[in-house]
Amino acid sequence: MNKETHNGHTSIAERLSVLSQSSAHQVKALAESLLDDLGVIEVLENRTGLVMLPYTDSVQGITFNLGEVLIAEASVRLKDHDGVEGYGSCLGRDHVQALALALCDAALRAGIRADTITAFADARALELIAADQELLRQVETTRVNMETF
Amino acid sequence: MYVAARGGEGAIQNAEALYNDLKAPIDADVVRAIERTMPYLIDRVMGEGSLYAPELAALALAQTGGDLYEAVLILRAYRSTQPRLAYAEPVTTKMLFTVRRISAAFKDIPGGQVLGPTLDYSHRIFQLDVLDGKAAATATFTPDTPDAPEPVQPVAPREYPLVADWHRMAGLMAPLEKHADQDPSDVPDVTREPLLFPAPRAERLQSLSRADTGGILALGYANMRGYGAVHPTINELRLGYAEVQVRHPISGDLISLGRVRVSQAEIVTHFANSATGVFGANKEKRQNHKEELALGFAATMGWNEIKVIAAAMLDKAMDLPAPHPAHTEEFVLYHTDPVEASGFCIHYKLPHYVTFASGMDAMRGANQIAGDEGKSVSEQPEAELVAEAQE
Repeated sequence: MNKETHNGHTSIAERLSVLSQSSAHQVKALAESLLDDLGVIEVLENRTGLVMLPYTDSVQGITFNLGEVLIAEASVRLKDHDGVEGYGSCLGRDHVQALALALCDAALRAGIRADTITAFADARALELIAADQELLRQVETTRVNMETF
Repeated sequence: MYVAARGGEGAIQNAEALYNDLKAPIDADVVRAIERTMPYLIDRVMGEGSLYAPELAALALAQTGGDLYEAVLILRAYRSTQPRLAYAEPVTTKMLFTVRRISAAFKDIPGGQVLGPTLDYSHRIFQLDVLDGKAAATATFTPDTPDAPEPVQPVAPREYPLVADWHRMAGLMAPLEKHADQDPSDVPDVTREPLLFPAPRAERLQSLSRADTGGILALGYANMRGYGAVHPTINELRLGYAEVQVRHPISGDLISLGRVRVSQAEIVTHFANSATGVFGANKEKRQNHKEELALGFAATMGWNEIKVIAAAMLDKAMDLPAPHPAHTEEFVLYHTDPVEASGFCIHYKLPHYVTFASGMDAMRGANQIAGDEGKSVSEQPEAELVAEAQE
């Protein structure tokens, strides 16, 4: 998760990162709840595609292409709000999830229902952190001391 | 040269229908079940397909009845229809959200060793209760931790230092060379350029990453058994999650799209500069350099330990002069691409009547020129040949 913060608050990028990793169903519902406030929406792009994932060789320090990751992405413009644009992308091929993310991003940039989106993102962030902590607790139970193993 | 198959459209459609009839029908629930219950198989298909898309990998397996090569082919074919939208930020080992990290060479590595999710030390016995409908075996995590009193439970670190850095600090390995910052789009890419030899290291590692697990294992095993000069020990093996971070096209900020499963291995050998090492038989050069550890490296998308261990070993082997094929970059990389290798193999099923008939003509002609007194093999009627073979 992105660690950027501004004035003690999570940045838009950080909130968007959390939303990208949240349940598609929940993010779609959030975006749906924003629609009445967003006015006329122009969808600039909504498609699937690939992101190449470079990886760094730990032995010689060379960067190479590990493989590609399928993503869905969307760009939108809020015509009733000075043409503010938003972008969203997520792993997988769910166009609607990407569109929902782009709408949330545009809303944050236009200052529309930002409190609602931030509260949602904060709650999801806590869930993600809790899930990570639980996994790391399970991992710790597998620690071995090879002298006594 | 091939001949066209005429009048076969109905037969082809019926053959596909029969293929599907001989396996259970599939639906979204079946695909989701495959994705949830067989993550390692999904990982293998994604790694070899060179496309991280668990849902589609599961669909590919369901559609093909579990034929791995067909599933990989479908994934690669789909990949070729998609535009490349961006390059993610390069992932480093230190950034991995690590859930498994072991070393077979050093027991006390900085950060320690965690087995993570593995069957390495488990009994390989059937859970027959599952078939009897008595238990949903291994569905939940129930750690046996009698020494860890509730509710205080220690948490493993997310990230670990590199064992290789530890060697470097101890003077056991050469310092890491500084490389200039590289735009990810400038990294050599075997999906965009033909593989030429000697291959840049970036292309070698990318090829190993998307290589066929069985092919890599076969060559690696041949090398380990004796057809090679590398006897590997695992310096570090990791399974973890890599964050996919891209630049937001409007703000330019980094955003995370989520994590993907990755595995990587380093193998280590002694005497990097010895007779089997970089200086070969050059005694003078060897005398002027101290011996060091030599490491091989490989990584792939998904969790696939066997592949990265064997590939890391081949990475090291390909640096060494040796007569065995598994030490030859061209031999290893050209023969372990799953789509090219399986595709070439199955193309032999296509009609080759004209080329084969041409060979038969040449054989008959040769026999005539030789002036055999008796009837040559190629002139004998097929029925006679069968009868002779049966005798």
